[in-house]
Amino acid sequence: MGKFLLLAFRNIFRNRRRTVMTLIMVGGGVAGLLLAGGYFAFMTHGLRESTINNGLGHLQIFTADHFRRDETRVLDTGINNWRQVAASVTSAEHVRGVAPRIDFYGMVSNGTKAAGFMGSAVDPVAENSLGFISRVVSGRDLDPKPAGEVEALIGVGLAKSMNVKVGDGLTILAMTSDGALNGVDVEIVGLVDHGVAELDSRYVRITLPAAQRLLQSDRVTNLVVGLDSTDNTDRVYDELIPRLRGLPQEMALKKWIDLATYYKQVSTMFNGIFLFMGVIVFFMVLMASVNTLLMSMMERTREIGTMLAMGTPRMWIVALFMLEATLLGVMGAVAGVAVGNLLGVLLNSSGLHMPPPPGYTVNIAFKVLHVPVQMIGASVLVVVSLAIASILPAMRASRLQIAEALAHV
Amino acid sequence: MNELDELVRVEAVCRRFPLDHSYVNALDGVNLGVAAGEFLAIAGPSGSGKSTLLNLIGCIDKPTSGRILIEGVDTSKLNANRITALRREKIGFVFQTFNLIPVFTAAENVEFPLLVQGLSARERRSRVAAALESVGLSARANHRPDLLSGGERQRVAVARAIVHRPALVLADEPTANLDTHNATQLIDLMHDLNRRLGLTFIFSTHDARLLEHTDRIVRLTDGEVVSDTLTARTPIEGGSHGQVLASRV
Repeated sequence: MGKFLLLAFRNIFRNRRRTVMTLIMVGGGVAGLLLAGGYFAFMTHGLRESTINNGLGHLQIFTADHFRRDETRVLDTGINNWRQVAASVTSAEHVRGVAPRIDFYGMVSNGTKAAGFMGSAVDPVAENSLGFISRVVSGRDLDPKPAGEVEALIGVGLAKSMNVKVGDGLTILAMTSDGALNGVDVEIVGLVDHGVAELDSRYVRITLPAAQRLLQSDRVTNLVVGLDSTDNTDRVYDELIPRLRGLPQEMALKKWIDLATYYKQVSTMFNGIFLFMGVIVFFMVLMASVNTLLMSMMERTREIGTMLAMGTPRMWIVALFMLEATLLGVMGAVAGVAVGNLLGVLLNSSGLHMPPPPGYTVNIAFKVLHVPVQMIGASVLVVVSLAIASILPAMRASRLQIAEALAHV
Repeated sequence: MNELDELVRVEAVCRRFPLDHSYVNALDGVNLGVAAGEFLAIAGPSGSGKSTLLNLIGCIDKPTSGRILIEGVDTSKLNANRITALRREKIGFVFQTFNLIPVFTAAENVEFPLLVQGLSARERRSRVAAALESVGLSARANHRPDLLSGGERQRVAVARAIVHRPALVLADEPTANLDTHNATQLIDLMHDLNRRLGLTFIFSTHDARLLEHTDRIVRLTDGEVVSDTLTARTPIEGGSHGQVLASRV
């Protein structure tokens, strides 16, 4: 086996120029896949963390009825004894804190113009302790205990459409849990920019006590749980499920991935693009390698005839060609992984930025993550591609008529 | 010579090759018997069928009609695997163009038939050393073919042909690519191996230098055996030197 491997290895370097060209092609394919995959991984990783840190949290607790709620009376299905629930969750390992929320909907008016809004009522102290980013671009964040009027943060798009600025007033209207329409005057203390135009054109944030007064309920719609690391999500989820059983209200625990619809869409899209690129690289390597390996086979016709004449089993010839192609694939994959990672390091240190994607308003850093699974996957892809490419030349070589092969010029 | 004593027996062998819309008879009704330990030359002009006959005896081609027996076994009745095994164990080949594996050293080339036979590394090493010693190339064992002269390459090829101790060595025009000095050395070497080890050599040639050293010459013309002669070098039981044994066996 050792000699056979040695023969295959030496055969690879018979025609060095052709081998180098093949290695460039295979390595280039692997490096290209790693760069694209690394960029996609950076994008999805960044999107995941920003989605979580923008307020989604790692886990969220709702009542089981929450997902059958009437959106005009959101607290009808809210959590009653949310402080007790929060306390039972906070004691779990890896939990950094719990932030109560009320997500509500209504109308906002500046006196001459009205628009629909998506409201989020928060406890600023709890939000800050979890590191949720308020994304205030003008003015300041909400005061946990304001002295005067109800404070509000609104999206930059909403401020523009309502023609208001920091320090101006607005009236927000929402349905109470009794079904009555209630309103409250708020002072705009800051503008927020999530980078998502659709959200920023409808976003209003007030404090939890203000929302509870507006909606005339001391319930909350959900509890947002922040963890020390996203990687612990599944572990904590499994730990919290038993704790939420046996409470007066039936509870539902959701992971961030179940609530991050946009993240899932983007992730699916990137995975699709990466898969498509993988298919292209696979066929590119396959087609080019078949030709190269056939040329190699033709050049060695007499040698193959000699080996067959000496009683070498035909399957050995098949194995030899497949081994050579596989070795070539392994070398190309190693070179590709090395080059791909090196280029990734260079790109990461270059400070490049990409223009904002659709729906976003900020540039995105161009960075490439080094993902071991992608390195293994891309390597396996090209090795398999080359092994498959070698089947035709290997079969042809093994089927040579010995006398004809020995007379080959 | 009794049929049972024969290492090789060729019986009424024809080999026909297609040519355009017709065909050409490379061999036409050839009969031949070769005893173990013979040093036999198949001579004849180009196109006479020498290489075709060697290919058929070496089981790397099949006759259109007739049959070939090796050690009494009818090769036409063997399946592909058994034919391969027969070549691997019973026959050694020496080619006109040496046909060494260029990426292997001389020793690795000689080792290859043993590798195919599945011998242990230790056994391979000792046999390779002995084979290279017998062709006088021990000092060149680790050289690749491109660093060897034509004569040395052909001696490596001879070592490769004998290393697995075959019953029969077939050499197709072994001196055709060699100068006189190297050709003479090779002829002497093959003859020495024939005498010393009792190896049966059958080779095709039209090299007069080689024919001078040959015990028996079978001459082919247009695919037919025209003479089968024992030369002056060979003492023949019950006959005179140079006697024509059979113009058609």
